[in-house]
This record gives sequence, C-alpha cells and structure tokens, in this order.
Amino acid sequence: MGEDGQVPDPQPVVSPPVQRPKLYRSSSDRWIAGVCGGIAEHLGISSALVRLLMVLAVVAGPGVFVYGFFWVMTRPDTSATQGVPVARSRRPLTRNQVLLVIGATGLAIGLGWVSPAGQLGRHLGFLLPVFAVAVGAFLAWSQLDASERSRWAGRSKRGRILAVARPVVGVVLATVGVVALATQGQGFDVVLTSALAAVAVLVGAAVIALPWVVRMWQGLQAEQTERIRATERADIAAHLHDSVLQTLALVQRRADDPATVIRLARSQERELREWLYADQNRSTDSLASAVTTVTHEVEDEHGIPIEVVVTGDRPMDDGGQALVKATREALLNAVRHGAPPVSVYVEVGPSGVEAFVRDHGPGFETTEIGDDRLGVRESILGRMRRHGGAAKIRRLESGTEIELTLPPLAGADGATPATAEAPASTAVAPASTAEASASTAEAPATEPRPNETNAGPTAPPTPAPGVREAQPTGGRTT
Amino acid sequence: MTSPTHTAPAKATSPIRLVLVDDHRMFRSGVKAELDPAVTEVVGEAPDVDTAVAVIKETRPDVVLLDVHLPGGNGNGGVDVLSATRGATTEAGQPVRFLALSVSDAAEDVIAVIRAGARGYVTKTISGNDLMTAVRRVADGDAVFSPRLAGFVLDAFGAAAGEIAEVDEELDRLSAREREVMRLIARGYQYKEVAKELFISIKTVETHVSSVLRKLQLSSRHELTAWAMGRRLL
Repeated sequence: MGEDGQVPDPQPVVSPPVQRPKLYRSSSDRWIAGVCGGIAEHLGISSALVRLLMVLAVVAGPGVFVYGFFWVMTRPDTSATQGVPVARSRRPLTRNQVLLVIGATGLAIGLGWVSPAGQLGRHLGFLLPVFAVAVGAFLAWSQLDASERSRWAGRSKRGRILAVARPVVGVVLATVGVVALATQGQGFDVVLTSALAAVAVLVGAAVIALPWVVRMWQGLQAEQTERIRATERADIAAHLHDSVLQTLALVQRRADDPATVIRLARSQERELREWLYADQNRSTDSLASAVTTVTHEVEDEHGIPIEVVVTGDRPMDDGGQALVKATREALLNAVRHGAPPVSVYVEVGPSGVEAFVRDHGPGFETTEIGDDRLGVRESILGRMRRHGGAAKIRRLESGTEIELTLPPLAGADGATPATAEAPASTAVAPASTAEASASTAEAPATEPRPNETNAGPTAPPTPAPGVREAQPTGGRTT
Repeated sequence: MTSPTHTAPAKATSPIRLVLVDDHRMFRSGVKAELDPAVTEVVGEAPDVDTAVAVIKETRPDVVLLDVHLPGGNGNGGVDVLSATRGATTEAGQPVRFLALSVSDAAEDVIAVIRAGARGYVTKTISGNDLMTAVRRVADGDAVFSPRLAGFVLDAFGAAAGEIAEVDEELDRLSAREREVMRLIARGYQYKEVAKELFISIKTVETHVSSVLRKLQLSSRHELTAWAMGRRLL
C-alpha cells in the first residue's frame, strides 16, 4: 500500500477539542500487529476491552476482516520510539502467531463440529479455503511489517531467506485458497483450469507491477542513503561547531596573548587529529596511551609543545602507573625549568620499559637537589625505585635528560637482557640512593634492584606502596 | 634557538634551489617567509600533483618540499609526484631530492612517501631554522629523520622488540649501531648530539641514518610492505 505510506503528515490531527492520538498500530502494546492496542490508545479505553470485543467479533465472523482492514490501513506507530522502532515485543509476537494459528484452527474445526452433522462437509469445504487465504495473507502481511522494522536493524542471511520465503508461501497459500473457494464442488478439470487461469493472472499482474515496485524500491533506498548521509553531515557539523569553531572564536578573542593562542591551537589540533585518525588498534588502557595522555595534559597546562614518541606497548600495571606519574613529574620539571624543545621517548620492549624525558634548559645535578625538594627526589627517583625500576638524571651539553626504566612484566618472555642496559649508564644512581636512604625508610629493601625476580605487582619486597604514594602529589618540584 | 642557528649560515655557497609542493597557499607563503633566501631560493611552487611534476621537470630544483596529501594524479598525493619524477636530475646532474612534509602522523603515509623515494620526513610544525637544516641535509644527499619517524622505524623493524641484525647488510633488521642512532633521534637528539653521545663523527651518524633510510626503502619486512600495500605501491 503505497499511497498512505508516503504521506507521513501529522497535520490532519489538529482537532482542538480532544487532542486524540492518531490511529496507529501500537508498537508497545500488541499481541499480533498492535491493532487493538492502537485502537485502545486512540479511543482512550482499555486495550483488554478492545481485545475482548475483537475476539468476540472474530468468533462471530466479521472480526477477521475488521482486524485485517485496520492492519492494512494503519501505519505502525514510530513516534513513540523516535527513529528507532525497537521490536520490543517480537518474541511474544512469534509465540502469539503460533497461538493464533492453533486457536483459529480449533475455532474452524469447532464451528464444523458444532453445526449440524449433515452440514459438516459443506462447512469444511468452505472454511478450509477461507482459512488458507487468511493464513497466507497473514504471512505475507506480517512479512511486510517485519521488513519495515528490520530495515533499521542489521539483517542476517537467514533473515533474508526468511524474508523471501514468507511472502512466497503466503501468496501460494492464499492463491490455493482462492482457487479452492472459487471451484467449490466442481470437478478436478475445472479446478486445474481455474488454477492455471489464476496463475496466469498473477503472472500478468506481476509483469505489470514489477517495474513500478522496483522503481519504488530504488526510490526508497536512495532516500534512505540520502538520510544517512545527511545525518553524518549533521554529526560532522556538530562536531566542528563544538570544537573547531569554538576554538577559533576563542583564538580571535585572545589574539593579544600568543601563549594562549598557541595552546588553544595545539590542543585543538590534537583533538581534531584524534577524531580524524582515531587510533585504530591502541587500547585506551595501556602504558603507551597513558604516557601520551599525560604528555598532552602537561602540554595543555603549560602551552609548551612536547614531542612524544612511543614504540611498543604493554598493559597497565603498578609499575606502569609509577612510570607514568614519574614521567609527568619529569615533564613538569622540563617545561618549568628547562627550555623547549621538550621531548619524550618511551620504548617498551622485552627487556623492560625505558622512558626518556629531555629538555634543552640549563639542567641540574641530583647532588644539588635540597632535601626539601620532594618533586625530583620522591616523585621521580623514589617512586621508580619503589616499583623495582630506576631513574637517573643526566646533564647534557644543552639540557637535561631524565631516564626512567622498569623491568619487564612478570609474565613477559625474555627477561635475560634486562641488565644489559645497566652497564652503559653512568653512575648517578648510587649518589641518589645514598641520599634517599636517609629520608625514606623503605629504601634499603629495594636497594639491590632485584630486576627480574620481583617484577610483578605481587612481588613481596615492595613495602607499603600506598603509604609513600600519597605524598609526592602534594609536594611539587623545585 | 638551538643548534641549527649557528650551523645555518655556515656555508656561503650558492643557495639551494627549492620547489614547494603543497595545496595550501597560506602554508606555501608561510614557508617562503621563514626561509632565508641566501640559503634557499624558491624557484617554483605547485598546488597539485600534475603541476608539481611539470614544475619539477622544468625548473630542475635541488630539493622539493613535498606535501604528503595532494589533489590530482592517481589519488596518492606525494607518492604520485615521486613516481612521476623518478630519474629527474638537478642542473648539476644530481638526482632531485625530496623532503616530505605532512600534518599527518599516520605511519602508512610516512612510510609510503619514504618508500617511494623521499629522503626524509618532517612535520609541518617544524621551525624555520630546523626546516632549513633539514633542506640542506637532504640537498647533500643525507637523510632527515624526525623523532617520530625514528620511532616508526624502530617499531617497523622490530628493533624496539630487540631484533638486531647480525650483519649490517641485512635489509630487514637494523644493526645495533643503527638502532642506537635511531633511539637517540627518537629521544630528541640532534645529529651533533648523537655523534657526541656515541663518540662518532657527525658524518658517521649521517651514514647510519642514510643506511637506515635505504633499508626502509628496500626492505621487504612484512610491516613495511603491509603499509606500502595500503597505498597501492606494490
């Protein structure tokens, strides 16, 4: 039924006295197609009452046609679940279909039995074809309904086969029924001829209707893709408005403040980039993403660009958390006391994690750090040591580099080359450990740096990680 | 601000002839304003693949600054320019060198232009001084690796995961020394600083980097070919 399907115009219902809901087939309150529920909603009465009346009407005879008429002539209610007509009552519907078929069969047979015995044969001869037509129509129509619903949901292969099979079976059933009805009490020849005639008429009708149906289908699909595209465009427009346009407005207003403008541009660039090239296979809960996030935070806070390069990745653990926090502290030091360019390089490999934070400022020595400067001592050196890692600070010709290392994960393979890195490093660690042991009581326990043995978070010699952990956040850097 | 400042005006030879290929006019004029005309002379500009090929063949520049994403051609942007101008020479008879320039950090873009023949890759946020150093380096036939590209290389060759070549000639892995150089570049070290750190000369650093570039272009490592396949290069 195309003619009522193409006019989704809510205008006609503006009847001021009683704002009555338009007659739809209810999608929430339904047993079969929601006709009764829809009528009840429309009239504002109980749906149970409508159903009772309908059942009575069906038993009396005309009910089936009344129901069918309403089913055909009304559209499913989509307003309630705007755009997403979820097939909430689909399960009960299929069970009800079965129930209906059983009930109707029982009814037909019952009618046959109840009536005087002599008329049984004639009744059956009439009722069975009618029943066949009804079931056929039901199958075909319920398919149309279902296809309307499933257009929004994804379709499985099995669903597609069913979608074709149901109307075909329905049409065949209905045709057989009609032919049987028309040839009541005739001979086999007549049945055959009329069946042939019926098929011929159907084929003719199909030939005439096909192009029209195809064109309508195509039109529908075109409209659908157009709508999808429009939604997409609206999404993009909304995103650009919320992000880029807002930032541009801010930039114009803060044009006299270059630092702010740079910061705005930088963070907007990053945000847009993330949106465009949404990182495909990097999980959000990994060391690499945590380091990147923390770098971006520091960058945003201080408006100094930081180049971040991460190779490899591994899941987050206690050690990883410590490394990320220490990296953050090192970066804060770099942007506050160092000079750009600031860069972070994190390498996650089988021999553990190495992180390098580098700036180009004047630099400092660990020995120059006073005891009261908790930032470097606690947040970087102490924290890494407590988690079985190490930190050292190197002064370069221009700038400072802080190196953080972590042993490999407990379950990880190839723990052998873990110590290979150590000899290359110049001994900054001893100086700092000696210092640190004075201030932190638990330092001696982790002093031997037992790299491979207690790498895991469950390892015994990580004394009271929570106790010390709280402190560094309060005490900031030099 | 840093090291490039005092290396930039060092050579007083004839300026490097440069062609700018980028579809954003604003960006082209920005780059032109930043470059010192005594060091680099912009002899041509092009906004798309076809114009770029024509301009490069006509002006025969020393270096082409090539945007990775360009309209025209077969839809592969900078890669199309590189393949269309293969074999082009400068006025001195040297091959024309390409330095890729991009806002995109996507590995497949970067690896694709490098494998198509670019001598280096820098991001568009690079400072004017660093850009000039990079152009000079490329003009001299050396390679230019940004920290990010070095990170890609370490990843792609499995060097970060500990795979090291037994012999230097092996194409599918980095040698221990090359890995060290790449790691230092990824850490934000300039070539000069890398040289100091490893107690080698800058020339040796450049040799290592060029050798990594060669491996990057010729290796058939799965990670690299997969990236290149994505851009229909093979």
